Amino acid sequence: MPRMLQFNIFRYNPQDEDSKPHMQTFYLEETPNLNLFIALNKIREEQDPSLQFDFCCRAAICGACAMVINGKPSLACKTKTKDLPDQINLLPLPGFKLVGDLSVDTGSWFRSMNERVKAWVHQDKEFDPTAEEERMDNSLAEKIYELDRCIECGCCIAACATAQMRSDFLGAVALNRVARFILDPRDKRTEKEYFEIIGTDQGIFGCMGLLACEDVCPKNIPLQDQLGYLRRKMGLGAVKNYLFWRKEK
Amino acid sequence: MNSASKVMVGRVGKGSAYLDLSQALSGILLSLFMLGHTLFVFGIVFGAKFFDQVAGFLESTNLAQIGGPIVGLIFLVHFILAARKIPFTTKEQKIVWRQALMLKHSDTWLWLVQVITGMLLLLLGSIHVWVILNDLPITALKSKELVQSGLWLYFNLLFLFSVALHLGIGLYRVGAKWGFVTRSNRFQVKKVIWGLIGGLILLDLISLFRFYFL
Repeated sequence: MPRMLQFNIFRYNPQDEDSKPHMQTFYLEETPNLNLFIALNKIREEQDPSLQFDFCCRAAICGACAMVINGKPSLACKTKTKDLPDQINLLPLPGFKLVGDLSVDTGSWFRSMNERVKAWVHQDKEFDPTAEEERMDNSLAEKIYELDRCIECGCCIAACATAQMRSDFLGAVALNRVARFILDPRDKRTEKEYFEIIGTDQGIFGCMGLLACEDVCPKNIPLQDQLGYLRRKMGLGAVKNYLFWRKEK
Repeated sequence: MNSASKVMVGRVGKGSAYLDLSQALSGILLSLFMLGHTLFVFGIVFGAKFFDQVAGFLESTNLAQIGGPIVGLIFLVHFILAARKIPFTTKEQKIVWRQALMLKHSDTWLWLVQVITGMLLLLLGSIHVWVILNDLPITALKSKELVQSGLWLYFNLLFLFSVALHLGIGLYRVGAKWGFVTRSNRFQVKKVIWGLIGGLILLDLISLFRFYFL
């Protein structure tokens, strides 16, 4: 006997003046291997074509279908209903501009964030398209790739109490991005230049160590270890001249 | 994030780094003090005479008279530094409770426990330091009379639970923030921290009831 699932879904259309934020209940019979991505599509096709939610790749690569699932930010396509109770509450990610219902605009936020941390490899050499690509040690490449797996879904920002309280806080995604460029030998930025980006209360020193980012990241990126590493590097970097009696350069 | 509309003027100073480091260091210093304090007070278990000898030693060497106000000062500085992160405004309060209730995430709740116990400690700690340092020397007899009078038993009960929780969670979070508590050891560290909190509460409870029934 398959379960009858109860979906309580946040509904609100900011474009419509008559629309008021409320929760709407839908029922759907559970089928084998049902995930939330399929369930939402079924509800939209069979019950309410006005339901808004984002999806694209359905394989946990694009990050578009992130939403709050029973209180926890996660990807709809990666969440199977068999791991959830009969009652499933779906909310849009907090901290981002609401497009409508479960759909939020993460794009503007991420563009702004990437510009703020200057998320590209900073080179001092002129690019030579004919030259052979510089080789990199495989273990280092893997370390960089581990952090580069971020799909910018926004779950870490939605889970972070600091980011929710302080809209100028960079958040785990941005700090992880910086950690990735620090690892990369092709990026010629100095420690001082990285400090300029994240050595503030809006950057690494604003992090309160609540570790919700670490616990919700759908890609299981080691965010906790990056945050700890950056705080130590930036914090001790700021006082190392006193620690070792060196003159400031 | 509205950073596109913001213009950075001047360079980023090291202020945030200094403040954040000082917050961690003052917390660690206060934790070490508290561990010592718990052990000294636990001396009452070995009798009033032993307790008085320990207190007498701390006072004859002026450790209490000089150390006391210094600890009091670090205590206030620690509050001011940590207050940078406390959600004081109604807007922040609304967000933080909504977030905690939505997420049901243990570390977010632990932080809230730390904020609440921190505010309690500011009040209870100030009262405690004032009362004790205004009535030196510390003796087992005076402590006994204090604990047995008025509402001081309940004051001390609330105080000792707040201290233990704030200290334990604080050390855990300093470790997490500064990269000593990592993904690989986090849950082991958490067990040790709960052991520390439990141990502190147990020792302080024994001391308190020893005074109460002295």
